Formats: sequence, structure tokens, C-alpha cells
Amino acid sequence: MIARSTTFRFAALVFLFQIVGAAVLLLGLGALLRSQSRAAAVDQAETLRADLLLTYASGGMPSLSAAITHRLSGKSERRAVLFLADRTGKPLAGNLAQVPQGLEPDASYQLMKVARPGHAEAEAMFLSASQLPDGGVFVAGTVVEGERQVFSQLEHATASALFLALLFAGTAAFVSTRLIVNRLQATVTTLGQVREGDMSRRVPQDGTGDAFAQLGTEVNQALDRVASLNAELKFATETMAHDLKMPIARMQYALDHLARIVTEPEARAAIDRAMTESERLQAMVETALTITRAEAGLGRESFRSTDVSEMLATITEIYAPIVEDDGRSIVVDAPPGFHMPLHRQLMDQAIGNLIDNTLKYGAGTITLSLVPHKAGAIIAVADEGLGIPEDRRAEAVTAFKRLDPARGGGGAGLGLSLVRAVAHLHGGTIDLGDCAPGLIVRIVLDGERA
Amino acid sequence: MTQKILLIEDDATTADFVANGLHEEGFVVDRAENGRDGLFLATDGSYQCIVLDRMLPGLDGMAVLSALRGAGIATPVIILSALGSPEDRIKGLTSGSDDYLVKPFAFAELLARIRLLLRRSQGGGAAVETFLRCEDLEMDLLARRVTRGGRAIDLQPREYRLLEFLLRHVDQVVTRTILLEGVWDYHFDPGTNVVDVHLSRLRKKIDEGEARPLLHTVRGAGYRIGAKP
Repeated sequence: MIARSTTFRFAALVFLFQIVGAAVLLLGLGALLRSQSRAAAVDQAETLRADLLLTYASGGMPSLSAAITHRLSGKSERRAVLFLADRTGKPLAGNLAQVPQGLEPDASYQLMKVARPGHAEAEAMFLSASQLPDGGVFVAGTVVEGERQVFSQLEHATASALFLALLFAGTAAFVSTRLIVNRLQATVTTLGQVREGDMSRRVPQDGTGDAFAQLGTEVNQALDRVASLNAELKFATETMAHDLKMPIARMQYALDHLARIVTEPEARAAIDRAMTESERLQAMVETALTITRAEAGLGRESFRSTDVSEMLATITEIYAPIVEDDGRSIVVDAPPGFHMPLHRQLMDQAIGNLIDNTLKYGAGTITLSLVPHKAGAIIAVADEGLGIPEDRRAEAVTAFKRLDPARGGGGAGLGLSLVRAVAHLHGGTIDLGDCAPGLIVRIVLDGERA
Repeated sequence: MTQKILLIEDDATTADFVANGLHEEGFVVDRAENGRDGLFLATDGSYQCIVLDRMLPGLDGMAVLSALRGAGIATPVIILSALGSPEDRIKGLTSGSDDYLVKPFAFAELLARIRLLLRRSQGGGAAVETFLRCEDLEMDLLARRVTRGGRAIDLQPREYRLLEFLLRHVDQVVTRTILLEGVWDYHFDPGTNVVDVHLSRLRKKIDEGEARPLLHTVRGAGYRIGAKP
């Protein structure tokens, strides 16, 4: 999960590059120094060897032996290793006790640890042995013990440096990731505020012109577009409200006028029926418009801090007589004085719809409850009826859908859609549950907007 | 005294409907079809009530209202609007109107609200009353006691509040929505007969067994408390 996050990947990449960079630098430098040191040592030994072999060619073993002794007495050849043995292996000259074991004649230079006579410890040296035509063995080489010690220290230093590099790489990965996250923070915050309904928020411009600034500009332009679409939607909704409602209004005025002048009982009954139908039509248009507006987030400017406990008590008081006439009861279960910002009228309507539903389809005691939840509350309406089977609950919330058309009633199946739209307007959700027996409809408000 | 009402409405159907209805109820109605003419007539100040459409050509209803209030004219104003959203209602009420009615409305609703406004603006009504009465039905607000002909009536708090509102509007028609707004500050019409059940319970307590009922149902409109049948 976290491994797939881009910021994590970025941090890992920064870390990896830093480590690889440090390793290449330190190890590569070490390797370069080693190979140069080897080349210099071999070069020095080879020069000596070639020179002395020339002496051997012109003067044979005695000349070579003398030349070796002479060379080794010079101060300039302190690192030189020279040795000459006859065909029996008896040392003739040089600063070794014998031909070191394992040194193959006529091979390339080998790095060996050999103790020279007069030296307490074995030293590292490059050596090469040459088989002489008369059966003797001539060994030439260079002591590199000093360099070996330096390289050993260098190895320790490299290990420490790599460990430090690990720390630096970790820090660099963390810092660079924080840097990106911080640069994105303004954009993220702004989008959050917009989602919560404050359409006027924009990403602050920092004038750096980098990719983050471009992102901010793009986000702002997208928000401008959303705001203008929102304004158009609001205008269209209101125009539609006007255009749809005026014909209905005129019809109702005409019927209203007729009702006041007609006395004939049959005509009056017909007018009453027509009025009932036109009122239903009007209510459906109003509810559909309310849902549209709420789903579009229109109306958040009307949020007021509301005593939700008191609101539920008032609703209970209004509905109590009609519920009691049904042989049922309605109670409130809420802590006193719980306040949160709400669209009072729409919340009244949503809860009223839920009570209407249970009056139509439910049974038993109706409980209006309030439970504090995060920064908001869960407001629920529960009954003790048959409830709704789990697999049909999603269907129940769909607009213009009635689970049991035979039990129609007067509604258009918009009740729960409205409740859901109101919950959305408040940044919440609705949730249908089983309270065994009975249905519980919860309006879950996190209360994070406001 | 004849009451003069100014109707500022551009939609001819609505205007005819309102004007004819008010005329039948004995009001004198002057009509204006746009905001400019309406404002001109309204500044005359001879009207007892102004019925103002929210959306008008030329000068918008809200602009007319703020111009009126700006000029110090306190004539009661009812706004008519096709905009039913609560935001618009709150905007209307906070910008100086006295009531707000969403189209379409029943004429009885408009009439009841106009009469309430006229009574409020003409009857003073600002005095703090501690005793309300309708015939032999009496309510002592300090003792929170209700009697009918001396017999004590036991009311639930919700019934008490409802009766108090009715007794403050004796002989006036109050509609269901006026009751919901006035008693509970509830601005959503539940649509069912929620209010009727409240009233029938209250009626049982104050009128049952009495020779002269006081709580009357007004067909197609609402309720009225008073001596007249």
C-alpha cells in the first residue's frame, strides 16, 4: 500500500541514488588508488628486473649477484626486493632468505606477504620470479606494506563514510519528500475547503513558476470553471423553478377561484380532487427541485448553529398527536443542548419525511435519536416494523422508486432521496439498518464542514 | 374604513387572481406591473399593505423593498415568490419584508396573512399581555392556567402553546402553515393532517360539552377562534 504511494517511491529513489552515488565515489576511488599503486610498484620492480637481467646477460651470475648487492646498498632502493639463488636454491645475494613458497617462476607479479630478514613482521610486496638459463632463480619486487596499511585505513574510512552516506541519504529522502508534500499542501488544503463548500477558495500563487505553481494555477482555473458552472446550474434551477411552478400556480389560482364561486356539490367535489392532484404535482416539483439544489450543494450559506436536541424535541411535539392517533408513540433519545451547524428547514423536512415513511410503512414506537459522532452527530429515526431486507435497501433510496407500489400512498418515492440529498449537503451520508425488529435510518454527519 | 392594498406583480394571472380575491373581500386594490411604477405608488404611503412580487421586470422586488425601507416607509410588505428555497425566504425576511409566501399559494393563505399583518400594524399589539380571553375561555399567562367558564382545563405544553397563539389572534383566520410557523417556528409543511390532529385534540378539551363552540374550522383555509360560528 505505502510502497505504491508516489511520495514513498520518490523518497526511496532519492535514498537509492544517494547511496549508490556515495558507494561509487568511495569504492571507485579506492579501486583506482589500488590499481595505480599496483602499477607504480610493478613498474618500479620491472625497471629493476630488466636492468639487472641485462647485467646478467653481459656478465653472468657473478655480475648479477654483485649488481644486486650494490643496488640494495643504495638508499634509493629501500622498497626494492631482489634475490638471487643458484640452481640448488642456495641464496647468492638479495634481501630475501629464500624464494618465497608459492611464487611461480616466469609469471606476472604476485602480491604476497613475506618476511624479509631483519624485519620483525611479514610485509606485503609484489614479486616476480625469473628462471635463469643456468638454473638459478632471480626474484624482483617492490614492498607495498606502507600502501597496504593506507588502503586498510581507507577501507575503514570508506565503511564509516558509507554509513554516514546512509544517514545523509535517509535525511535527503525525508527532506525532499517533505518539501514536495509541503509545496502541495496549499493545493490540497484549498481543494478540501472547496469540497466543504467554500467555493471562493483558491490556491495562493507564489510566483515561483515551478511545476507546483503551475499545478496551483491549473487547479484555480478548474475551480473557476466549476464555480461558473455552479452559478449556471443555480440560475437554471431557479429559472426552472419559476417556469415549472408558474403554470401550476396558475392552475391552482383558477381552481381556487372556482372553489369560491361554485356551490354545486358535484362540481365542488371535482374541484377538490383537481386541487389535491395539483397540490401533489406541486409538492413533487418542489421536492425534486429541493433535491437538485441540495445535491448541487446549494444552500450551505443557510447553515446555522442549531440546537439539534431541541430541534428533535420540536419535531416530536409536532408529530406526536398524529402518531398517537395511530396507536403508536414517538420518543426522543438525545443528550440535551447538542449544537451543530445545520440547514434547519431541510433537516426538518428530511426528518419529517422519515417519520412520514414509518407512519406509512412501519409499526411500533418511533425513536428519534442523536449520538455525537466525530465533530458532528448521527441523527436517526427508528421504528419497530418489518424493516427493509438488506438487499433492497439501496433500491429504497433511489428516486421515484417505491418498494411496494401497491401501498402507494401519496408520495412520488422521493422521500429517501431527499433525506440523502440533505445528508450530502451537510457532507454526510445516510445508512439504512436493521434494529431487529424495525428499520433505522441514520443520517451520519461528520460535522467536518462548517 | 376601507383598506387599501398595493399589488406589485407582473404576472397577469397571479395579479388577477389576487386582485379579484381581495376585491371580493372588500379591499381596494391598486395594481402595478413593474417595480418602478410600484415604488412610485408605494411612496405615496396611503396603503395599509403591499403585496410585492420577488421577480419583477426593471426594478427587482428586493430593490423595491429596500428603496421603500430606505425612504422610511414602514407599510407592511408580503413578498410573493416562485423561489421556494429557504435561503430566499430568509433573504426576503431579513431585508425588511413582514411575511413571505411561496407561489403557488392558496388565496386563503394570502388573505389570512394580510389580515394578520393589518391587525398587527393597526392594533398596536405591542403591549405585553398577561391575560388572554375569548368569551368565557381564559388564559392566565403568569399562572399558566386555562379555564372555560371557571372550569379548569388541563393542557399539555404543546396544546397550551397552540391555544396561546390562537388566543392572540381571536377572530382571525390562521392557516396550518401560519400555526406551524407561529407556534413551533417550523417552516416545512408536513403535508399530512398533522396540524388538524393537534386542533381536534385541543377542540376536545375546550369545546366538548359546551353549548357554544369557540374553535372553528374555516373550510379551505384553516382555523379561527372566536364567538361567531
